[in-house]
Amino acid sequence: MIILKDVYYKYGTAEIQALCGVSLQIRQGEHLAVIGPNGCGKTTLIRHLNALLLPDAGSVNIGRLSTKNPKHRAEIRSQVGMVFQNPDHQIIGMTVEEDVAFGPENLRLPNAEIKKRVAEALCRVGIPELAGRNVEHLSGGEKRLVAIAGVLAMRPRFIALDEPTAFLDPSAARRVLEILDKLHSEGVGIIHVTHNMAEASRTQRIVVMNQGRIDLDGTPGEIIGNAGMLRQIGLQLPPVTEFLLALKAERLPVEADKVHMKDALDQVMTLVGKRKD
Amino acid sequence: MYRAGSFVQGSSLFHKLDPRVKLSAVVVFSIFILWVKAPLALVGGGILLPLALAGGIRLRIIGEAIKPFLFFIALILFVHVFFGGNNRYETVSNPFLRFSFSVTGAQEGFFVIWRFLCLITSAVLLTMTTAPAQIVAAVKYFLQPLKKLNVPVDDLAVMIMLALRLMPVLLGEKERIEVAQKARGYQIRQAGGWMRLKSFILLATRVLTGVFRRADELALAMEARNYQRKGRSSLVQLNFRAADLFAVIILSIFFVIFVALNFHFG
Repeated sequence: MIILKDVYYKYGTAEIQALCGVSLQIRQGEHLAVIGPNGCGKTTLIRHLNALLLPDAGSVNIGRLSTKNPKHRAEIRSQVGMVFQNPDHQIIGMTVEEDVAFGPENLRLPNAEIKKRVAEALCRVGIPELAGRNVEHLSGGEKRLVAIAGVLAMRPRFIALDEPTAFLDPSAARRVLEILDKLHSEGVGIIHVTHNMAEASRTQRIVVMNQGRIDLDGTPGEIIGNAGMLRQIGLQLPPVTEFLLALKAERLPVEADKVHMKDALDQVMTLVGKRKD
Repeated sequence: MYRAGSFVQGSSLFHKLDPRVKLSAVVVFSIFILWVKAPLALVGGGILLPLALAGGIRLRIIGEAIKPFLFFIALILFVHVFFGGNNRYETVSNPFLRFSFSVTGAQEGFFVIWRFLCLITSAVLLTMTTAPAQIVAAVKYFLQPLKKLNVPVDDLAVMIMLALRLMPVLLGEKERIEVAQKARGYQIRQAGGWMRLKSFILLATRVLTGVFRRADELALAMEARNYQRKGRSSLVQLNFRAADLFAVIILSIFFVIFVALNFHFG
């Protein structure tokens, strides 16, 4: 379990606190979305999870390991993988397999084990055929998958992803989201930073951040129930929810705190009297 | 998209050779091509072209690698033709149009350029058929003895790897800024000397800033993936096979023949 207790953080000489007393618990195998407007502290928060940033006050623990203890950091970084927003900033190797091998090489694994983990990680993200390719010749979506594979090769218990679908076309974004769902079903804890409510609503739990604080924490349904507040902090609701809210505004008897198309369809079919049980 | 010098996956004989053999061959060839007499350099370089084609490198790629050096090539030729050589010829008697040039200077210039092109082609042959991690592993292998002198060989290897990684990033950054300038109507060809200089300084500053930012991010990404300065294991395992031994023998025979010929004609 990841436990953040009353974490405060400020960048250098900045006047504004990036994190103000954030407390959060993330269970093993949980699929969590961290959502909020630009500059609300989402990236700062997840950079605390694998000790890239250390809290000015408060604590971050991964199981019994504390990010404040320098001796724990290597273990923490192999337990919590980090996928950066821009894969170009993360890819270190010149070929796909070189890059994916970078983490296992740092774990000082034997050559045969590195090769096994590289092949396994590339298969998990569905790109085994790209192993020998020069990273400069990959598309944006492929680079994102390489970045995820590079983290998976370290066999982490949690993966924190900073806007993993940013700059991707809809089909590449869908592929990334499907891979995250698959990893979650395999027991990997996913911490997905986004400002897209539709993406966040695919997860089990949503944490809404605003001005360095956690404003809301709950299931997608519970969070969507606070539509007014979400709009107030500049977040866009999923189209399905917007549609149901529009129906509700027309005084139709619908529950608007739904995010999935099937739920909306069920309600519409009931309204028109054609629901099939 | 191909970029001259970047590794391209393949299954040619060159791709399969041990990187230590390829690296040694390029170093020896470079010394050889600069040292031997001009006709032998011509023959030695002539052998390189079919070898490059056998390595799956197209002529277009070699052309792409040479393109950035065209100005220097022209400059070398100009200096040799108009300022070098012994047998000088004067053109016309009109003092305003009169200039002298040298045929032997042109020959000398040609051979200097030829040697230069051979060096570029051999480097392209190495980098396009050898994954950077393999080049780094080969460099690390040859630098091992320096560890006894406390030279940080592991750090040097990582620095080489990062330099190779940042090279295309640097070129990409330059292209992006140029495109952004063009998109806002800036035409470098129509600009005057001062504007060109100003534009170059602006471009260089932006490229450097971008690369430093990228290097910062890369350092953070390395930290996130548990980078250790010492004791890292490696994906690359260097294996010296029968084909490598065969390549070494062939190269040695060529080398001995050329050295003998060089002394014979010297």
